[in-house]
Amino acid sequence: MFGKPRKSAVLTAAAIALASAATLSAASAPAWAQDVLRIGAPLALTGGLADEGKKQESVWQLWLDKINAAGGIKVGGKTMKVEIIKYDYQTDGKRAGQLAEKLITDDKVDVLMAPFGSGHTKIIAAVTERYQVPLLACVASSESVYDQSFKYLFGTLAPNSGMTDAMAALYKQKLPTLKKIAIYGRDDVFPKSMATSMATSAKAAGIEVAYNELYAVGTMDHSAAISAIKAAGADWIYMTGYTQDLILGRKQLNDLGVKAPIITMVTGPAYKEFTDGLGDLADGVTSSTWWHHATAYTGAAGVWPSTEAFYKDFTTAFKSDPDYVHASCAAAADVLVNAVQKAGSTDKAKVRDALEATDMLTFYGPIKFGPNHMNLGRDMPIIQVQGKDIKVLYPASIANAEMKLIK
Amino acid sequence: MDILQILVNGLVLGALYACIAVGFSLVWGVLNIINMLHGSFIILGGYLTFFAWFYLGLNPILALPVVALVLYALGYVLQYIFINKVVTSPVLTTLTLTFGLDMILYNLMTVYFTATPRRVTMDMGSADILGVIMPMDRVMGMALAFLLTGLLYVVMRASTIGRAIVAVRMDRQAAALMGIRVNRIYAITFGIGALMAGAAGAVFAIVFPVTTNLTGVFLGKAFVICVIGGLGSVPGALVGGLALGIIESFAGFVLGPQHAMTLGFVLMLVLLVVRPTGLIGVKGYE
Amino acid sequence: MMTRRHIAALGVALWFGILALTPLLADNYTIRIAITIAMYSAMALSWNFIGGFAGYPSFSTAAFFGIGCYVGAIAQRSGVPLVVAWALATVFVTVFAVALGAIILRLKGHYFAIGSIAIVEVVRLVVSSWGGLTGGGDGLNVPLLSGGPDRVATTVLYVMLAIMLAAFVVTILVDRARLGFGLRCISQNEDAADMVGIDTTRYKIAAYALSALFCGTVGAVYASWVGYIDPTDSFSILLSVKVPVMVLLGGAGTVLGPIIGAGAFVMLEEFFWANFLEWNRAILGGIIVFLIFFLPSGILKLDYRRLFRRKSPVDRTEAA
Repeated sequence: MFGKPRKSAVLTAAAIALASAATLSAASAPAWAQDVLRIGAPLALTGGLADEGKKQESVWQLWLDKINAAGGIKVGGKTMKVEIIKYDYQTDGKRAGQLAEKLITDDKVDVLMAPFGSGHTKIIAAVTERYQVPLLACVASSESVYDQSFKYLFGTLAPNSGMTDAMAALYKQKLPTLKKIAIYGRDDVFPKSMATSMATSAKAAGIEVAYNELYAVGTMDHSAAISAIKAAGADWIYMTGYTQDLILGRKQLNDLGVKAPIITMVTGPAYKEFTDGLGDLADGVTSSTWWHHATAYTGAAGVWPSTEAFYKDFTTAFKSDPDYVHASCAAAADVLVNAVQKAGSTDKAKVRDALEATDMLTFYGPIKFGPNHMNLGRDMPIIQVQGKDIKVLYPASIANAEMKLIK
Repeated sequence: MDILQILVNGLVLGALYACIAVGFSLVWGVLNIINMLHGSFIILGGYLTFFAWFYLGLNPILALPVVALVLYALGYVLQYIFINKVVTSPVLTTLTLTFGLDMILYNLMTVYFTATPRRVTMDMGSADILGVIMPMDRVMGMALAFLLTGLLYVVMRASTIGRAIVAVRMDRQAAALMGIRVNRIYAITFGIGALMAGAAGAVFAIVFPVTTNLTGVFLGKAFVICVIGGLGSVPGALVGGLALGIIESFAGFVLGPQHAMTLGFVLMLVLLVVRPTGLIGVKGYE
Repeated sequence: MMTRRHIAALGVALWFGILALTPLLADNYTIRIAITIAMYSAMALSWNFIGGFAGYPSFSTAAFFGIGCYVGAIAQRSGVPLVVAWALATVFVTVFAVALGAIILRLKGHYFAIGSIAIVEVVRLVVSSWGGLTGGGDGLNVPLLSGGPDRVATTVLYVMLAIMLAAFVVTILVDRARLGFGLRCISQNEDAADMVGIDTTRYKIAAYALSALFCGTVGAVYASWVGYIDPTDSFSILLSVKVPVMVLLGGAGTVLGPIIGAGAFVMLEEFFWANFLEWNRAILGGIIVFLIFFLPSGILKLDYRRLFRRKSPVDRTEAA
């Protein structure tokens, strides 16, 4: 085995060593122009969260086009250009951390935007905290993300727990005979925390939790759980998960003849795919969400002066309705620009301080960060699919329909 | 009544599982290849069916044969061009190759179709027999599973191609000496495997949301079913599918949904060690 | 005069030197690439024991890595000092591999391949449903390493390099010892190996344990480095396939192959990731397909004489 091929082995080893030495040393950073705000965005463009990643990508492009059309942003008397540097982290946590580091050290970004989901936001937050680079998370709502008192992490979604309390109270009022709830959640950061939080809220509201189970990631059949739910005789079914799980869950509820007056799927109806994938079966399903385009904020700071203006631009560009992911992410970008303007520069520590002091109204709603750096709770909408439309049931200020029970 | 319902749930689910595994099992048995592309084939079948329904208004049942043939062609070509070149290599090589091809197919699908879950929203209702409920679309899947396995069984036994496939499986060299064009037989077999996946995908477009996120899940099920039923045996895929469906159904009810999947995999590992030929498998394809 | 072996040793030393010097020469992102290279090299060297020497198509790397992550993280969270936690993870994973190996190494070929893939899935599901201990789908926060980004990066780099070096040294030892010979025999023909008096069961278990050991350490260090782990990322099938591909790229069953393969693969991946936003997965798949057809035995076995045939001997020396 020490025959002739060995020589070539040695040659290759040496060649690769030299080539890589060249690669490594050539990777020094170019100098960047001073008056550019560089935003880094690791996105899940492939893999399990590809759909959500694409949403972020598209809405930020819309936002950026709008900024660039205006020539940039005004910071301390001069005009700054804005750039978004994107990479695909393939829904892989190892990659997410790596790309965050690349964006910071290699692309010299001034701030980062977190990708979809609480888990990957956490991984990136560990990196940005180390480098003291501000990180805006627009789609991470689990409090466990924010419980490590990171100084540089800010989230534009409000905590989950606000949603479930309001929901239990509303349903109890709309259906006084409401006695039993069945909770069925996906064993994943956000869906699990919603399920847990719902169980607590339901108990507090005097509703018996008749079934409370989690299902593993990758479950492709819910018939066993649904048979158990049916046996438990719940009149409110509360299921959390990703859209693909919820479509299947709703369909199997129907297939197996489960009749419950209230079916809530989080955050199913907040996404257009959910109603598209279910057709008539979506009718009557309720959910909570962080934002709905029926909200009508006006006089907002940022790229869009009102919710309506955002809605109009969005539907023109993409021919479909925006959901909370789009809105929260676009608003996060507005919050960021606002902070840079307040700070008067892209200095990371100053931007961080400005972010902490944020108190502004965006087209998405008011943004003010609480002690754990999550957006302070406000009344988050409870929505219901009625016919082909998504109606808002709560809060009363923007409600545009009465709740309907499923027959 | 509960027990009966759970049993029926398990049976119809098991039949869908059998649909997943038939093609995979055939390819494994004849070509001795663990086809990592299989999950993506099913999803591709699902997407094609969905688009045919969405844009052309074609009923999935009618789309099924067309989709299946498209997949057959794709499978044939892939085998003829790529996999045949390494078909006699060790499992590491063949598995890695199909994994590489799968990455390409997966990427193509996410870019052109996006990962958005879609479904043919054609609800066929459920049949209620003495309080036991059977969703019609799943019953259809069940019928398809029996039809596919039955058909394959007959083809393998009675047709020239089938006999040739069996001959190649038993002894490649001897088959070649008898004038069988082995590479062609391989391509046909792989094509049939893809065809089965496509047919399953067409039915699944009604039953499950179609998204590239599910390719890995389908593939994982195919592994488990084939091991339970017996590697490379066509009736084994049916038995394995039904067994897994029933086990998962009861486990989900008794132990809770979180442990149903774990149990399937653990059972598979135990069977691998205790009885690697599966419940009804035959020895000797190793 | 330098023998080939000397040149090889020099090349490896040079490579270790380059990786170790990155903190002085380049920014933290480059250090991160160096860490990634060291990490994958260690895992590739590990896999080489079972997959390369013994010829068993093992796809359980991700299980070992993931268990390492979790044992390290849980130990650290219960107050065990950093280095002890890493050691604990290593020991645990090794014991796990020995116990598991005693069972699944009875399988061969396709059966073994599929069994080893199933292990990854089973462990993921168990970790995921054992919420009380592992945090389930929520994942676990791991205490962040203290110090600024530069210090953390440098520390992690040297730890990973040390693991890689250890794996490399063990590879050399195994290669020269009876174990390496025995494993090669098993790879050629297991029954024959058994007949000439090689205790195949023990040899295989040893190889399997070696293939797990360093992955466990790497996993634990990785968990401390990133500060957060969850079941989906820790037990990813992709990792189980990537590592064997790296070894195949370099040359399976050789001493240098895994290092060359891991280094080349990580840099290729880096290049494609940075330049092709949407198509990186397909390109990676393309590389795998290319590799299988055009480099079936890896870079090490390339016939350079044929590649450089038209060039003068002087050119050939320069290419080195």
